[in-house]
Amino acid sequence: MRESVIMKIHYGTALAAVALVAVHVLFRLTQGFVDSLTYESVIANYRFLPYAGMLEIILILLSIHGFNGLRVILLELKQGRSYEKAVSYGCIAAMIAIIAYGSRTIFMTNMGMV
Amino acid sequence: MEKVDENKEGIKGMVNPRRYGIERVAYLLMRLSGLGLLAYFVAHIYETSNILRGRVGWEEVISITQTTEGHVILAIVIGMCVFHTANGIRVMLGESGIGVGKPIRPDYPYPSPSQNARHKIAIYSSIILAALAMMYGLAVMFGE
Repeated sequence: MRESVIMKIHYGTALAAVALVAVHVLFRLTQGFVDSLTYESVIANYRFLPYAGMLEIILILLSIHGFNGLRVILLELKQGRSYEKAVSYGCIAAMIAIIAYGSRTIFMTNMGMV
Repeated sequence: MEKVDENKEGIKGMVNPRRYGIERVAYLLMRLSGLGLLAYFVAHIYETSNILRGRVGWEEVISITQTTEGHVILAIVIGMCVFHTANGIRVMLGESGIGVGKPIRPDYPYPSPSQNARHKIAIYSSIILAALAMMYGLAVMFGE
């Protein structure tokens, strides 16, 4: 993929994540910070489908943005054909692993498997 | 064959905030805050996965984060998040050609129109906003 397209995705995911993370933080503040972290409140949040969907979108957006940012930093540091391939594939693998691990939490809690 | 200096300073060169003004400091802070936020994001995914261990597991992990140290770390994360967002918007606007000025003839002392007052103000504003958000975060966390 062209680097210009990757950077457009990087900026797009950033803007979308800012909006959704703001909603995520507002949920903590409107319920009261400590109260929103109680077991019942967290379970209720996960079981509320629109909120769980939003968490899943945030997870995907931040994983893409975060690991692409890491890739950019590592490529600024050193260049080379094999190094660049290793960094790019490593970041994609880490991104997929984080999305899979986070999705497992969201899906299992949303479906009442806790 | 003579060794060519390719000006490869590695990490040392990357983390040196001197020589190029506040823009260079913003460059460094952007990368540091990005790495910090990525580390927090991964830790947050692990932290929230403890909900699958039931009430005991959740309360165990929350008791670790609901301490003075935990709150201070979260305040730093809030600061990094706000700076990264505000400075990121500045970078995006700059890359879109907004606020970078018009090209000029390169005469001594070679001022760069792209490194103008608007961008400097935006960088300082990002730092101030981050500091304010940290204070608000600390007030919320320690206020309860």
